[in-house]
Amino acid sequence: MKNIADYPSLKRRGFVKLAGSGLALWQLPALGLAATKAPAPRPKIVWLLLRGGLDSLHAVVPAFDAGLMQQRRSLAEPLVDKLLPLERGFGLHPDLKFLHGLYVKRQLAPVVAVATPYRSRSHFEGQDVLESGLAPADHDSGWLARALSAYRGEGLAIARSLPIALRGEAAASTWYPDHLPGADSDLYARLLKLYENDVRLHQRLQEALETRAKVGDLAGRRRPRLQHLAKACATLLAAPGGPDCAMLEMGGWDTHNNQPGRLSQQFGQLDAGLQILCEHLGQTWQQTLVVIATEFGRTVKNNGTRGTDHGTASALLLAGGALRGGRVLGEWPGLGEKDLYEGRDLMPTSDMRAWTAALLQQHWQIPQTQLAAVFPGAKPVGLTLTEGVLKPKVKV
Amino acid sequence: MTYLATIAANRFGLGARPGEIAAAQTDPRGWLLRQIGKPPLDPNQPGAAAALAQLALFRQAKQAIKKDGNKPDTPPRRPLARSFAAQVGNTLESAIGSGDSLAWRLREFFSNHFSVSSRGAALLALAPTLEHEAIAPHVFGKFEDMLLAVSSHPAMLVYLNNERSFGPDSMIGRRNRQRGLNENLAREILELHTLGVNGGYDQQDVIELALAISGWSITRPREPEPRGFVFRTQGHQPGARRVLGKTYAEAGLAQGKAVLTDLARHPATARFLSRKLAQHFVSDKPAPALVEQMTRRWQASGGDLGAVITELINHPAAWEPEPQKFKTPREFLISACRATGAAGWQARELIGALELLGQRPFNAGSPAGYGDSESAWDGADALLARIDWAARFSGRLGLDAERLAHNSLGAALTPATRTAIERAESRTQGIALLLMSPEFQRR
Repeated sequence: MKNIADYPSLKRRGFVKLAGSGLALWQLPALGLAATKAPAPRPKIVWLLLRGGLDSLHAVVPAFDAGLMQQRRSLAEPLVDKLLPLERGFGLHPDLKFLHGLYVKRQLAPVVAVATPYRSRSHFEGQDVLESGLAPADHDSGWLARALSAYRGEGLAIARSLPIALRGEAAASTWYPDHLPGADSDLYARLLKLYENDVRLHQRLQEALETRAKVGDLAGRRRPRLQHLAKACATLLAAPGGPDCAMLEMGGWDTHNNQPGRLSQQFGQLDAGLQILCEHLGQTWQQTLVVIATEFGRTVKNNGTRGTDHGTASALLLAGGALRGGRVLGEWPGLGEKDLYEGRDLMPTSDMRAWTAALLQQHWQIPQTQLAAVFPGAKPVGLTLTEGVLKPKVKV
Repeated sequence: MTYLATIAANRFGLGARPGEIAAAQTDPRGWLLRQIGKPPLDPNQPGAAAALAQLALFRQAKQAIKKDGNKPDTPPRRPLARSFAAQVGNTLESAIGSGDSLAWRLREFFSNHFSVSSRGAALLALAPTLEHEAIAPHVFGKFEDMLLAVSSHPAMLVYLNNERSFGPDSMIGRRNRQRGLNENLAREILELHTLGVNGGYDQQDVIELALAISGWSITRPREPEPRGFVFRTQGHQPGARRVLGKTYAEAGLAQGKAVLTDLARHPATARFLSRKLAQHFVSDKPAPALVEQMTRRWQASGGDLGAVITELINHPAAWEPEPQKFKTPREFLISACRATGAAGWQARELIGALELLGQRPFNAGSPAGYGDSESAWDGADALLARIDWAARFSGRLGLDAERLAHNSLGAALTPATRTAIERAESRTQGIALLLMSPEFQRR
């Protein structure tokens, strides 16, 4: 709808202006919309992918479950007295202070014991299924891209190359902080001309120039931590005519050893990243949903090196000003020996896609028929999850 | 002139140095086949023993700081970082200067296949030693030799946490219930290094392999030299193991070796690696006949990598005239340096450039290594970073762009690129246009 690619004539003209006068091209389509009526704030989605398999039992800790101490005393014991309280007897890891503040403001809701349809334990396949939203995964079709197609919106990945989640028909670009000084605009113009017969390179360069024109001097750090990526992400999302959704990624969750120390650091970064995201979104936070997902959980028992190995169910963390939070969602399977999946992992009690589908339905008003194309076979959960215009149909 | 010489240098090698396309003209296949057999070694690189010695000094220095609270003039980590940069830089320089760039491509392929990341002091010291000790000597040898060398190398044992993985019924496991098995290395050997994720193993096979290689460890800082791999009998799970339906009697270290040898020879490994090689060298979607032929040769030769590569080079499906793949940042950077001689650029700057382009050596952050498909590298932002780097890189080179284009692209140079270079406002801009032309970016 407001996709730049829909305006082929504008594309070239716009670039000439960009190269010549430094005008930010990105804003042109938005101006086109603004001419008809004052733009209403558009609902935004941030999808944060935690790569490596988050141990949810270390994040949203089921302190009420007697199985916790039986299965993983060495990991749980130092934690249980310091947990930040949630409902149903769960507790949040003490390094997730900002997230807990959101929970108190009803802007955070963990969903426990969720999984994708994937049931083996490979990171790479697991992430592909998570990003694709299909099992088996399709490397050229991501769930977020399909959702964007249905919503007719634009997406952005804070990454160097387009992740699977945003691959497909939809308009999606990438941005990543660099600290090389830009080449002079004449070189870009000449390369655009040289790429005239090379559709892909031409399109990529054009997208990149548009995004750079918008981000300006945000680029910086050598090794960007989540905070820096989140800041750029928020600035891009909140700008006039900015994209409708953004994808962020954070690695380092594959805690096979020394889990307590490593997760403490990871949670600290995650927490700070969310805080920066919230602060820099400003008013836009109120229209934003943040969905934090991981490819799978980890073994309920600790392994022989103070860590955990690859498992099955984990947690989904929902946040944002648009969320109806302040609760812990999802059915709890229990941690008794017989409750576990294949005798070792947290048992999934719901499909992660059913929650994401419900969010798309309520936040972006994507109708059921189109949701089936986003997440084939996943029925949206029947709970009101957002503070949006849709009134609750089902009592929570 | 024929485009086959350009394909030989770009698709199978690391890009043409001046004179290479001319040399490959008469017999492009023969030019490549002559490179087979000579392993891509770079001399004078320290090994894992030296890295572990350096690590022991690092830990002493850290303890001394903790004890006295004095900050030394040089941070204890600096020697490790220096040695890392020196090794990675040497490897880059060797690849840039090599007349056998097929061998260096293979070295890079397997280094990424057995990816280790330099996170933390131990891996900063150890990661680069894996490539020159366990991988380079075997790129034209038997895959099982490479697999055994890698799986028992300190860098891999530390990276995938096997150095402290002990059988629950071993002496160490029984003495201290907190210590036990870690599945990480075993799972990745099956999933990433040998059979592939659909190779027909299950969770029980993962555990059984982990038990078979329990006790595969490294020397502690205070243990007597030589430093390196050590098999800890007291940490090895006693008893027979059953992997993929075959029973392996208790034989200590030899038990794990026997399982790994069988995994290397397994038909699923032959298929997985043949396909991965064809995808790397030729195309993300290689012709099934090519993969089939390579797989058969793999099985017939017992995993002889030189024979499998010969099969690849001799197969017509590997010589499609159209460029099939977008170069990775590393291939792009090395080929740019080979084409231009990279005068005035230090190895350190090149490592920095790889970081900016998204492919810092030993930093994939995942045992699966860096992505090897086009889509992993052809993002909008990635392209812009390449242009900005190319602009800066060419700024220090006072070379004739037209001759460079001829030398590095041969018959593949298109009229459009030639015209763009001719009309460039400066030599520098001409080189940047050449390096960023579609035919230089693809292979």
